[in-house]
Amino acid sequence: MKLRTKLTLFNTISKLVIVILFVALLPVLIKNINQNYTDSRLRKQKDKVLKTVKELGIKYYIQNGESYAAYTPIKDVYVSLEEDTLNENLDNIKNEVRKVEADTIEYRILSHNFHIEKRNYLLEIGISQDSVNERTGPLQSIAFVILVSMVILTIIADQVYSDYILRPLSLIIKTKLIGNKFPNFGSYKEVKTSTYDFHHLDISIHQMIQTIESTFQKEREFISNASHELMTPISILQSKIENMFEEEDVADELKVRLLEMQKILNRLKSITKTLLLISQIENEQFLKEDKISVSALLQQVYDEISIRLQDKNINYQVNINNDWNLVNVNKFLLFNLFFNLVNNAIKYNKEGGDIKVEALKEGNAYVVKIIDTGLGISAADLPFIFNRFKKLRQSLQQESFGLGLPIVKSIADFHHIKIEVASEKDKGSTFKLIFSPELIGS
Amino acid sequence: MNVLIIEDEKALARELEIFLTNYNYICEVCFDGVSASEKVAVNLYDFILIDLGLPDYEGLDLLKEAKKNNPDAAYIILTARAEIYDRIKGLDMGADDYLAKPFSLLELQSRMQAITRRKFGLKNNVVELGDFLVNLTDRIITHGGAEISAITKKEFDLVAYLILHKNRTVTRNQLSEHIWGSIINDDYDSNYIDAHIKNIRKKLNAFSPPDWLETVRGLGYKIKINT
Repeated sequence: MKLRTKLTLFNTISKLVIVILFVALLPVLIKNINQNYTDSRLRKQKDKVLKTVKELGIKYYIQNGESYAAYTPIKDVYVSLEEDTLNENLDNIKNEVRKVEADTIEYRILSHNFHIEKRNYLLEIGISQDSVNERTGPLQSIAFVILVSMVILTIIADQVYSDYILRPLSLIIKTKLIGNKFPNFGSYKEVKTSTYDFHHLDISIHQMIQTIESTFQKEREFISNASHELMTPISILQSKIENMFEEEDVADELKVRLLEMQKILNRLKSITKTLLLISQIENEQFLKEDKISVSALLQQVYDEISIRLQDKNINYQVNINNDWNLVNVNKFLLFNLFFNLVNNAIKYNKEGGDIKVEALKEGNAYVVKIIDTGLGISAADLPFIFNRFKKLRQSLQQESFGLGLPIVKSIADFHHIKIEVASEKDKGSTFKLIFSPELIGS
Repeated sequence: MNVLIIEDEKALARELEIFLTNYNYICEVCFDGVSASEKVAVNLYDFILIDLGLPDYEGLDLLKEAKKNNPDAAYIILTARAEIYDRIKGLDMGADDYLAKPFSLLELQSRMQAITRRKFGLKNNVVELGDFLVNLTDRIITHGGAEISAITKKEFDLVAYLILHKNRTVTRNQLSEHIWGSIINDDYDSNYIDAHIKNIRKKLNAFSPPDWLETVRGLGYKIKINT
């Protein structure tokens, strides 16, 4: 999940939880507030009655020992004053039910005893609970609407702001990490940001890429220089050996040993040339301007390799469904790519085995498959087959130095050809080349 | 024929000189660009072999300079720096051929012969081998006037290379370098040469035995031509 999505989700959920909690608690809160308000009203009312009694005397309310009682027409407030026969001394506020005429109503009631002229009086003031509660509902819904709209507003604001503040991060991810081919010797473009953390991240990534690139560059330069430097001494040795063959006084026995030396020198030469080729491909020192049909290319490979097929008695089949032209390629390199793949298919095949080369269109993709019935590659070895000097499969008869597939890989990468390998031990291997559309000509 | 060898690597220059002298060329050797530039200004040569990687001289400049005084000479560029751009430039500037180090001396000699044939328009390009006639221009082998079409391109290449170096043993390594040298390959096995030779013998034997194609035990092959 993206950081932005996570932040938004957290924001929304946390705010909603708070709002829901608040709205749920609202009745309790309102009840509390209402009660306090009611109680203070009751007390004021009491004070007013007591003041009247003090100024005008108890007779204002009670004459001839009759009780006083008054209430509003809808009976939401009532006042009663009577002589208390019980010898009590109340001064409290309680919820109680009273029957007023035919109605039973729940009241919040203040009860208060006071003495005048050695008589005990009881004052009761009640406010009906219904009138208190009916205000809670509307309050609750108003609060809910206001809060929810506030939450929505803040979520939008959060979203816009986090979008703005996280933009450098997504820019760093988009331009520096995703779709960046390593090593990419492109120029550094600073991501503008006022957030120190992102700035630091950008700089650090840049420095890491630079380190990787310079290491890559050094390795390439080293391979290129080393193989170039090796060419001259190899050249001298080769010429010396060839000249020794020409000399008449060299015994045959010695010549056989010279031949062995020549063979070993050829191996050295082959390794050096291959390394040099790989470094030249990686340094993009080849042009990609040739056009060649797949069938012509495969025919060229066959011409060079038929002797090896014959030598091992291998049944070689080429199926080209509909031939196509490869464009923007380097013929020399592509030839070597196919030569090495077919050569491997021969080398790791059994005597009298099969090799099938299929060129076909799979959906929109142009594909060439090289299928052999050879030794196969174990699943554990499969990830390493393109590593240089990695000799995984013991070839049956020939000397090899483990650069065949690395050449194939460099040439394929150089042309943006995708390679897929499927293999089963002792059953055989299939190398599948997938050509990108820009390599397909009319 | 006169050859000027311009090569700063003394040991290599010396081997080139020995080899070409063996093939009856008259050789002069320069180890640096300055003395080479003096030599080409004074003398005339049939072949000039230039190493592009001279320490004191830009190889391509030397080529340009030499062409002024020796316009008819054949130029072969030798270099360890086998970059494609140099290759294109070198051939554009009138070099006749190009050899990347390390190269086989036999390869150098066969290139020089090819240039000679081209430059001097040698007509006699048909070699008689027993009952067979090998036409090096049309690249065909005939027997009693009929072409032996079964011979493949590779097989003809081998025969032609052996004819070029007639009466000398050409090793399997040299032959396989000649016909597969440009392929970048992860093994170096010269045994396939034997298979090729076997095929050639079989195909020719259908007409008459090719006794002129000799196997030199343990080493390679030789074509004997009595001159």
